[in-house]
Amino acid sequence: MSNKPIDCEQALSILYDYLDRELGEHDHEAMEHHLSVCKSCFSRAEFEQRLKEKMKSLREAQPAADSNDRIKQLLKDL
Amino acid sequence: MGVSKELFEKQVLGLLGPLQGVARRLTRNDTEAEDLVAETVTRAWRARDTLESEAAFRSWLFRILNNTFISDLRRAGARPKTESIHADETNEDEAYFSVFEQVHQPFLLWFGNPEQEFLDKLLREDLDRALATLPEHHRIVVILSDLEEFSYSEIAETLEVPIGTVRSRLARARSALQKLLWQQAKDYGLGSEESTRDGEKPCPQAGEQSVAPSARKV
Repeated sequence: MSNKPIDCEQALSILYDYLDRELGEHDHEAMEHHLSVCKSCFSRAEFEQRLKEKMKSLREAQPAADSNDRIKQLLKDL
Repeated sequence: MGVSKELFEKQVLGLLGPLQGVARRLTRNDTEAEDLVAETVTRAWRARDTLESEAAFRSWLFRILNNTFISDLRRAGARPKTESIHADETNEDEAYFSVFEQVHQPFLLWFGNPEQEFLDKLLREDLDRALATLPEHHRIVVILSDLEEFSYSEIAETLEVPIGTVRSRLARARSALQKLLWQQAKDYGLGSEESTRDGEKPCPQAGEQSVAPSARKV
């Protein structure tokens, strides 16, 4: 995508790439600019971002104690 | 490259929480998840010479986890729902469902904010249920992207598919997830017919816009 402003259709087509931080610098800037002038796309992006954060809250970062012991023993025995 | 036992142990223990979390979401069963992680660690140690670099350890280990899960499913007689690259890249209509477009009412702001209301009422159990309902090939991309925050390239390495396939599979998975969440919301009475919109243009084209939203970042 070039440096010229993007329209809503283009913005929506790269919305998840933007939220997933997968856009290159130019596209990221173009998206930020579009969101700063388009209330509808901004609301959509805000909605998808909040939903993404709710999904992230499902992550389980800490291992269960029992299972942890089992894997530690397994690693010892390798 | 291979890996020393010390480094292998350190990396596995550092990833144990996410490994168990992903295994639980794949198997939907705590005992099976524990077995899956144990089998993954054993297989990974046996295949340690296939590790190309220390930086690739996470995607390498989760690839073994996912492949072990699929092998177990096949052994148990279940047929994992997989999707061909061709199917990923076509059928665009099926890949698009948005809760936002169902509830957003830009011209009725005095009625409140239905999309925020939807999110506010969304419980962890709702998300858990919807995620668990997704077929395996959709569930894994959502888990790796949204829960574990893998980059598209890491997901591509983990699932051994091109990045374009990750992108399209993720779009379809998120669409399917939103469909399920929307269905749950309707079952709870949220999103009545009055609040749905058909055929409304999502937003004005660039250049026509004059409304600047708040300056805060999304």
